Amino acid sequence: MPLSDLSGRLPDAATLIRDLDEAGYLTDQPLGMALFLAARMGQPILLEGEPGVGKTEAAKALATVLDTPLIRLQCYEGLTAAEALYEWNYPRQLLAIRLAESRGETLRDADLFSADYLLARPLLAALDHPGPRPAVLLIDEVDRGDDEFEAFLFELLAESAVTIPELGTRRAAVPPVVVLTSNRTRDLHDALKRRCLYHWIEYPDTERVAAIIRRRVPAAAEPLVGQVARGVARLRGLDLAKPPGVAEAISWAEALVVLGADRLDETVAAQTAGVVLKYSEDLQLLRTAGFAAADGD
Amino acid sequence: MTEGRARGPADLALIAARLGAELRDAGVPADSGRCERFARAVPLARPATQYELYLCALATFASGPEQIATVQRVFGDLFGGVDGRTAGQTEPVAPELPGTPPHPAPDDLLAEAARAAQEHPASRPRPPPAGPEGADDPGRGTGSPERAAGEAAEPDEDQPETGRPVLASRVERLAGTDFAELTPGELQDLTGLMSELTLAVPLRRSRREHPSARGRRTDLRSTLRHARRTGGHPLRLARRAPALRPRQLIVLCDISGSMEPYARAMLQLLYCAAGGAEAEVFTFATRLTRLTGALAHMPPEQALQRAGQAAPDWLGGTRIGASLKEFNDTVGRPGLARGAVVVIISDGWDTGEPAMLRREMQRLSRVAHRIIWVNPRTKSEQYRPLAGGMAAAWPYCDAVLSAHSVHALHELTAALARPGRHRPGSRDGTRAPGPAREASRPQETAAQDG
Repeated sequence: MPLSDLSGRLPDAATLIRDLDEAGYLTDQPLGMALFLAARMGQPILLEGEPGVGKTEAAKALATVLDTPLIRLQCYEGLTAAEALYEWNYPRQLLAIRLAESRGETLRDADLFSADYLLARPLLAALDHPGPRPAVLLIDEVDRGDDEFEAFLFELLAESAVTIPELGTRRAAVPPVVVLTSNRTRDLHDALKRRCLYHWIEYPDTERVAAIIRRRVPAAAEPLVGQVARGVARLRGLDLAKPPGVAEAISWAEALVVLGADRLDETVAAQTAGVVLKYSEDLQLLRTAGFAAADGD
Repeated sequence: MTEGRARGPADLALIAARLGAELRDAGVPADSGRCERFARAVPLARPATQYELYLCALATFASGPEQIATVQRVFGDLFGGVDGRTAGQTEPVAPELPGTPPHPAPDDLLAEAARAAQEHPASRPRPPPAGPEGADDPGRGTGSPERAAGEAAEPDEDQPETGRPVLASRVERLAGTDFAELTPGELQDLTGLMSELTLAVPLRRSRREHPSARGRRTDLRSTLRHARRTGGHPLRLARRAPALRPRQLIVLCDISGSMEPYARAMLQLLYCAAGGAEAEVFTFATRLTRLTGALAHMPPEQALQRAGQAAPDWLGGTRIGASLKEFNDTVGRPGLARGAVVVIISDGWDTGEPAMLRREMQRLSRVAHRIIWVNPRTKSEQYRPLAGGMAAAWPYCDAVLSAHSVHALHELTAALARPGRHRPGSRDGTRAPGPAREASRPQETAAQDG
């Protein structure tokens, strides 16, 4: 399997962390190292972590750093080869048959099952990416797919190749950097895990959350950013059904900017609690604990 | 890229192999592929610090958050620490990048690591094999898992070995006996009877489709393929219809004190009965442990022991509400319990707040298809769900049954197979008219209790 040479763009993990930072994705050293190894070794990487911790964003940022397209496949139960890999363009094939008939020509299999009639879905599109740098293929929430789909991924992950019965095996010219994410709603197959590098993304500490908000919501003024980061940290300390993640912290800061609030106090927190907490039990709990609990100060 | 290799691949290969072996002993599935991957990662990352070397190991060997601590410990044991940064994964947010202070060059670091690996005592005394990965590793030479299980399951002296034919009349007698009164050996004699049971759960529509003559959707791919035989005229429309799949079966087993025999019996049932292998199994006492992976590798007896070791403080009482919350928060509500059939095996003695159990049962009931509570104490005519926990949980159960002996297990299989909901109370806990007949006796009491 030819590995595209990324040594120029990604000389070491520290450079990748710095580049990700410039691309708007703040990360820590362990994740930086894991992504670096994934890109340089040409090995798929499985990212896990609680929802809203930035798994999908990591893949997007990696694509930005590599300056290549991000090709995303959202998994769901019943996902089939036709939706994930390729589909034949049936209307076009039918038309071609009719056309050939009217002209009195004979059609052979090879005429109908050629690249002209092939609709590339995300997986095939990632393999067909011409390069020179590999595309980033994000297989999102792979735990939502079913066992059959996981098994279907094996060939792609191990060989960077897929087999299309009518065309044979298609091998990637430039194997994509594959990022899989999972929310751990079910255990993935060991066979799938064995083919991947692995990283568990933790919820970042308050300073890093503040830095992320600063990066993602530039309009947020200074006292507000720290207050939101501390407020979310405080909410996470409560016994919530769904503790808010980084994504919620960013939405909260955005909401406050829209409201024109320059600081996070009890009143504003009460008005915007629905941006951060999505369960009525949690809102109820916050109401009992007092909105001061969400207050950043 | 070749600096590491120029140094001599033997060093690196040795480190990778040793680290892999130690990790395997510690229960991390570090196969040769992962060792090789680690050996490939190091020259690429050129770690300048012990911590970076550790990060390479972490990315290549771990495959779950529960393995991070093990990798860190084993790495620390082998190489004398993770660069003094014990906060490595408990608080994995690196405080600051450690810059590049005068650290040893990568080659020196590797040589250092190789030396540490060689000096590490190769055969230090280890506890007997207990890990799921450890037990089924053929290379360990500690005997087959079956044998290990046999040994583990033989506290009694006159107990027959697994698989030895047992007189039918004796088995018949045992089948009527309460699980709590059976010795582990007698319980194993019941495997034959248990294998005859089928744990069939109701079906649901899958989003996956399969060819079907009566399907609604047209299968263009297949239609066109057939059309080629008839000169391009699609004479016959091929159709597809959604497949039907059994719902997810989830079993939550209380393994505290008095419930342990029943948990053991239930795991054995899942192990033997048809359909049991598909179940997701968790145990709880004070904390929740996922057993599903372990059950695939070892007999139930051993899996249960492991779960008991994982939660050694069960004598302190069961925290059903808290365990259920953990289940809801981590896996249940995010997806596993959605549309699933949930079986909870517990006597309902909760040392926590009943309000918490009520709230968690309510949350679970909103996503689960059915909840079946197996409480062996309901076998008694006199049983009344007055204990705080059971009374709180009752309105959210579709069925409460005892399933305390093999004969009583038929109740369970019937309850599993029954489609639809039969909750005595509606979701907010108020009484609904005409509660179903399941678990009729205690049900009425539940209604009286409110």
